Amino acid sequence: MNIRLGNADLARYPFLNEAAEYMSQTYFNLDDLNLPELQHIVERASNRIRNEIIHGKPDNALERHEVEILTFLVGILIIKAINSDNLTKKHCLCEALRAEKFLVHDLKAQGELANKKLLIFKVFKELLKMDVLPSLKYQLMFEVKVTDYLKRSHLFHEQEWKLINRLVHDGRVFLDPDETVRLIRSELANLLFERIRQMNPSHIPTTIREKANILKSILPVAPRRLDDAPSAYPPCINHALDQMAAGENLPHSARVMLATYMLAIGKNIEEIVSLFENAPDYNERISRYQVEHLAGERGSHVRYLVPSCAKLRNDGLCFATSQCEGLINPVQFGRAVKSYSKKASVG
Amino acid sequence: MILTKTGEDLHLLKIAFREFYFNQGNMVEEPSKIQNREFGLMGFDGVMKRHLAFSSLGGLIASLIFETPSDVFASNAQYDFPTLPISEKGWRGAELIFDIDLKDLDMKCIRSHSYARCLSCSSSYVSGSQESCPKCGSNNIAESMLPCDRCVSGLKNEVLKLHKFLTSDLGISPEMIGTYFSGNNGFHVHVQDESFNDLDSRARADLAAYILGVGILADAIGVTKDIRNDFRIRFPIGGLDHGWRKRISDRLGISVSSQKRLSKLIKDLGGLEQFRRRIAEITRDMGVRIDSQVTTDVHRVFRLPGTLNGKSGLTKILCTDLNSFDPFDESCQLSNREVTVRITIPKLKLRLKGERFNLNEEFVRVPMFLGVYLISKGLAHAVRLDPGTGRFIVPASTP
Repeated sequence: MNIRLGNADLARYPFLNEAAEYMSQTYFNLDDLNLPELQHIVERASNRIRNEIIHGKPDNALERHEVEILTFLVGILIIKAINSDNLTKKHCLCEALRAEKFLVHDLKAQGELANKKLLIFKVFKELLKMDVLPSLKYQLMFEVKVTDYLKRSHLFHEQEWKLINRLVHDGRVFLDPDETVRLIRSELANLLFERIRQMNPSHIPTTIREKANILKSILPVAPRRLDDAPSAYPPCINHALDQMAAGENLPHSARVMLATYMLAIGKNIEEIVSLFENAPDYNERISRYQVEHLAGERGSHVRYLVPSCAKLRNDGLCFATSQCEGLINPVQFGRAVKSYSKKASVG
Repeated sequence: MILTKTGEDLHLLKIAFREFYFNQGNMVEEPSKIQNREFGLMGFDGVMKRHLAFSSLGGLIASLIFETPSDVFASNAQYDFPTLPISEKGWRGAELIFDIDLKDLDMKCIRSHSYARCLSCSSSYVSGSQESCPKCGSNNIAESMLPCDRCVSGLKNEVLKLHKFLTSDLGISPEMIGTYFSGNNGFHVHVQDESFNDLDSRARADLAAYILGVGILADAIGVTKDIRNDFRIRFPIGGLDHGWRKRISDRLGISVSSQKRLSKLIKDLGGLEQFRRRIAEITRDMGVRIDSQVTTDVHRVFRLPGTLNGKSGLTKILCTDLNSFDPFDESCQLSNREVTVRITIPKLKLRLKGERFNLNEEFVRVPMFLGVYLISKGLAHAVRLDPGTGRFIVPASTP
């Protein structure tokens, strides 16, 4: 397809190939970022990343396309200069969330069908190799090939994402704009992560390096783990902790498992909230609310139990070892290990 | 299956199977990209050799004649290195396959044509409802089953239901669906649409659940929980025109214009919880009884079409017209040459290769295809004549 997106689209989706083409046409040089007239861009990108580190939230402000494309590029350079996998993942997730918001808005907009089709083509087909079509039958619905849907939907553990709960016909799954975009969230974040990982800028301009050093100083020192030896935890919990430490975006069900397990073994709210500090979308206020909710201190005042091994297996969160034999709930693991060590130490 | 084969049984089975691969090797279907498939050959001793590879169909058939396995399997997956251990094979996608087996159909007639053999006292009898041997009381029982026409009809119904799901819901062209009689008690449905090949186990599990009718939410048809009024109805944007939404609404007799009717139905059932249970029952009832583990496993080996099934001596065969397909005729490919067998079940009646057999005698001369069928099912033993005395030599069974 040779039709091009408008500049306003490039502002919202600066990761598209066309945005890179736009930059190459401007004869932009990396050292231009040291120029005083571009300092507001460097400052803007730096603030965006600071916000991501502190609040775990994307910046949803939208400027004209020249500013947005440059901010996106400078942001990547800062991330490259900081050179932290965890922060890169966090930044990519935030950029994906930002794009998601614009994409939902654009798909819901009652504009020309041709424009919508073009945007869908550029984002879904060109970028993610996925066929999405505006439904001719149902207004404001989109059709996704059933195979494309199945490849992505298993990342969601909520029952509503199971194929049986979807409108399926003739090899297509019908989704509303929110669902269509939600389906690609983690994929978009992964795609951005891969792009950043493979990017090798010839050098990092001084202004960028300075900003990177400042931001580096506010990064959490090291992933927090609780005091216990990891071997005291069952493998599912260890796996979740390792993923969290690596800055992975754990699914909701894994976070519930982690929090309820820690509550069950007697950890306090503070300790548990701090566990999630490394999550790409960490927000202290939200994390605290959710942990307190699970602890039965909020909402329905019902304390949530640790999900059973069967449920975890079903959700793809079980990484059982021989030590898990006979267990029906992860909380039993600690007890089994303790009694085993006691036994082993007797005589 | 009754696992009491004598040396004479194994000798006869091997002769029959070798003869088949020698004379009718052209029936063996070559899987696409044969060099990228893992093969498994099961010996008559029950030992499976896996991680084998063949570069051509000719090489495979030669091996079948030479080794004469009881069962031949090929992976639905394609690998870079099919002979290496699973983790090193280099998975390159796997065809989507469904297995519909009689054991999952809960057919009421099954007990009437299931046979048991006591491994303690060697007596055989129709299974009925007895769980222990009526003669010696032992629980050491082996069972075997001869499917009847009603069983086949039940299986065909499930296959037709599956076809409907595959074509109407999943948009798979009928030409891309291959339906095979497994050669024993079921059907295998192979999807040749390559767009499904790269689905991983989790995606296939979701697809299997869809076809089984497991995991439905009332929300899918627009019934949600409401704190004040127990439930609320807001039909989904896409309506109830397709897929499971249509199946459920048709069964309940509702449409998007019958909100009041649905509301009454939920209240009559006793509320939202009961309604949820009701639609879960409907989906389980209307779903297809596939074996989800088979569909989900992307490293499995499947019986190769055109090869013999060691549990029956029948061939796994493509059904070009399912309605008229008769497994007891078309898949029976062994020769008519006569062999002598000793029947272990009295008054056995069955139909095979277009003939009806009433087996009332203990020692009978039967065509090879029937002899192999009965021996494979554990309902007869091969016997031979002693050239000196002219009497039958009855080998002792080897439990």
